[in-house]
Amino acid sequence: MRTWLTIILANLFRQRLRNLVTAFGVAIAIGMSFSILSFQKGYENGVRAELDRLGAHLLVVPKGCPYDAASIALHGASWPCYLKSVYLETVRKTPFVACAAPVLMTALYEEKSGEQQVYCGVEKNILQLRRGWRIDGVFPEGTGELLVGSELAKSNGWRLGQKVALPGLKNETGRISGILHPTQGADDFFIYVPIRDAQRYFRHPGELTHILVQLTDPERVKNVVEELRGCDAGLEMTIVPLSHLFQTIQHLIENTRLLLSCVALAALLTAACGVSNTILMAVSERTREIGVLRALGASPDAIFGLIWAETTVLCLVGGLSGLILALGSASLVETWLRQQLPYAPPERLIAPDVVTLLSCLGVCLLLATFAALIPAWRASRLSPAEAIREGAYTA
Amino acid sequence: MIGQGSIVRAENLRKIYRRGAEDVVAVDNVSFEVAPGEFLAIVGPSGAGKSTLLQLIGVMDNPTSGKMSIAGSEVSGLSDAARTRLRRETIGFVFQHFGLLPTLTVAENIGLPLLLSRERSRDRVEFLLERVGLAHRRNHRPAELSGGEMQRVAIARALVNQPRFLLADEPTGNLDSVNSAAILRLFQELRQDGLTIIAVTHNEEFARSADRRLTLRDGKVVS
Ligand SMILES: Nc1ncnc2c1ncn2[C@@H]1O[C@H](COP(=O)(O)OP(=O)(O)OP(=O)(O)O)[C@@H](O)[C@H]1O
Ligand SMILES: [Mg+2]
Repeated sequence: MRTWLTIILANLFRQRLRNLVTAFGVAIAIGMSFSILSFQKGYENGVRAELDRLGAHLLVVPKGCPYDAASIALHGASWPCYLKSVYLETVRKTPFVACAAPVLMTALYEEKSGEQQVYCGVEKNILQLRRGWRIDGVFPEGTGELLVGSELAKSNGWRLGQKVALPGLKNETGRISGILHPTQGADDFFIYVPIRDAQRYFRHPGELTHILVQLTDPERVKNVVEELRGCDAGLEMTIVPLSHLFQTIQHLIENTRLLLSCVALAALLTAACGVSNTILMAVSERTREIGVLRALGASPDAIFGLIWAETTVLCLVGGLSGLILALGSASLVETWLRQQLPYAPPERLIAPDVVTLLSCLGVCLLLATFAALIPAWRASRLSPAEAIREGAYTA
Repeated sequence: MIGQGSIVRAENLRKIYRRGAEDVVAVDNVSFEVAPGEFLAIVGPSGAGKSTLLQLIGVMDNPTSGKMSIAGSEVSGLSDAARTRLRRETIGFVFQHFGLLPTLTVAENIGLPLLLSRERSRDRVEFLLERVGLAHRRNHRPAELSGGEMQRVAIARALVNQPRFLLADEPTGNLDSVNSAAILRLFQELRQDGLTIIAVTHNEEFARSADRRLTLRDGKVVS
C-alpha cells in the first residue's frame, strides 16, 4: 500500500510544472463552483431571513406602484405612490387577519452629507410583527418621539432621552424615546416615528405607503388575498404574499445564477479536458514502463487503477487548493457581487458550509474519474510486449 | 512422449505483423524445446525476429499460429488474466533497457513483483540484494546506479517470485565489456544453481557460454 502510494505521488512529481498547471485549472474550476454554490445558498438564506424579519405574511402596497415596490419596503426608500388610511380598516376587518400594521415610509437626503435617511411612520401594533425587537426605553407614541436603529444611534452618538434635529428635515426636532437593539437588518439604520408625525412631516395626511399583514393562520393566505382583491378597496391595492415575493426576488437574479452556473460548468469541463490531456501525455511517455509492469504481472485493472489514482490525487490537490482559494477570497467576491445584484439582503451572500464543501469534493472526484477514463483505459490496454518493442532502446 | 519434461516447448510458431497493406512474417514456423536447467542463447542478425520470439515465449503476445506450452501446459488458449498470472508466477524478465521504475528505490524495485502478487517478503528481497551484491545500495534510486548495477537490480527483481525460468532480451546490450562480463558471470552462477535461462544476445562471449544456441534468420531457425 505504501509502495503504491509512493509510486503514485512520485509519478506526479516527475512532471511537476505540467501537473501544477493542470491542478491550477482544477483549482479554478472547483473554487468557482464552490463560490457559486455558497452564493446561491447564502443569497437564498439571506432573502428568507430578511422576509422573516418583516414578520408579515402579506404586504399591501398601492396599485400602480412597480411590482418590486415590495423590495422597497424591505430596504427602505421613498415611495412613488400612496394608499389611503381608510383601507386599513377594510384590511383589519377581513377574516383571518390577525394584525394589520400601517407604514408610511420615506427616504430623505441630507443636503450636507448627501446620505439617505429612512423614516417609518408606524403604530404600536408593528411590535406584534417584529417579535425579535428589543428596545432600550419605550416605543414612541407621543408627538415628537423617536425610535432609532442601533447603528444610526451609534454613528450619531445619540443617547436615550436626547433631543435631536431630524436628519433631512429642516426645523424639526424629536426626542429619542427608544433605541433599538441590533437586528442585523435595515432597521438598524431607520428612524421610527408615530404615524401621525410622519404624515405631518412628509405632508401626506391620511395616507400610507404600505400595510404589513399577519394572518391568524398562514395556510389562509389564498383566502385572504382573494377576499382583499374582491372588495371595493381592492381596486386601489396590490396584495403581495411574501412567499411570492421570495420567488420574485429569486427570479430577479435567475439570469445571474444561470450565467454563473454555466461558467462554472464550462470551467469544470475545461479542467477535466486539461487533466485528461496531461494524464494522456504521461501515459504515452510511460508506455514502456507500463509495458514492463504488465510483463511483470500487473493486471489491466491494476494499471487502470494506478492511472485513475494518479488522476484523482492530481484533481484532489487542485480541488483542495481551489476550496482554500475560494474561502480566502469570499469577502472580495462578496463585495463584487453586491455591486452586480439588483437586490441583496444584508446577510452574508457567500455562506460556505460543510455540505457545500463536501459536495465540491464529490464533484472533484467525479471530475477526476471522468478525466481518467480515457487515459486509464488506454494505459490498461497497453500490451506487455511494449516492454521489449523496437525503437525504445534508451534507458 | 517427447518434451514431457521440458519447460518451454514451441511447435510451428508463427507471428505475422500487419503493417499497412504488407504482412511481415517476424517468426516463421519455429519449433524448439528447452529442458529444465538449460541455458539457451537465441542469436541472429537484426530484424531476425529474436525479440518477437521472446515476446511469444514470455506470453506477452499471441502467436498468429502454432503451439506454445510452458511447464507442460498449453498457453495459446489462456485468458488475459491467466496469462498475466503465468508471467507473474513462472517467468522472470530481464530487459536490455533494465526496465526499472525510476521513482522507486533499489529494494522497492526488487520487491515490485511481490507487490503485484500481494505478497510480502522482506527476507526474499534482502536475500537477493545480497545475492547480486547491492545490499549497500538498497535505498538508492536507479538514476544513481551504473548500468551494470541497474541490470543486477533487474535480475534480482526477475528472481524475486522464484520463477521457473529467466527470459532476457539482450541483457548486456547497453553495457560496456567489464559490466557485460560481470552480468554473464551472474547468469552462469544462476545456471549452476539450476535456473533455466533463455536469452537473446548479440554478445558472442555470452552466446558461447550457453549450453545451446538457436540461430534465427528472417524469422526462421537456421541452426
Ligand atoms: N510491433 C510490430 N509491428 C510491426 N512489425 C514489427 C513489430 N515488431 C517487430 N516488427 C518487425 O518484425 C521483424 C522482427 O523484429 P524483431 O524486433 O523481432 O527483430 P530482432 O531480431 O529482435 O532485431 P534486433 O536484433 O534489431 O532487436 C522486423 O522486421 C520488425 O520490423
Ligand atoms: Mg530485438
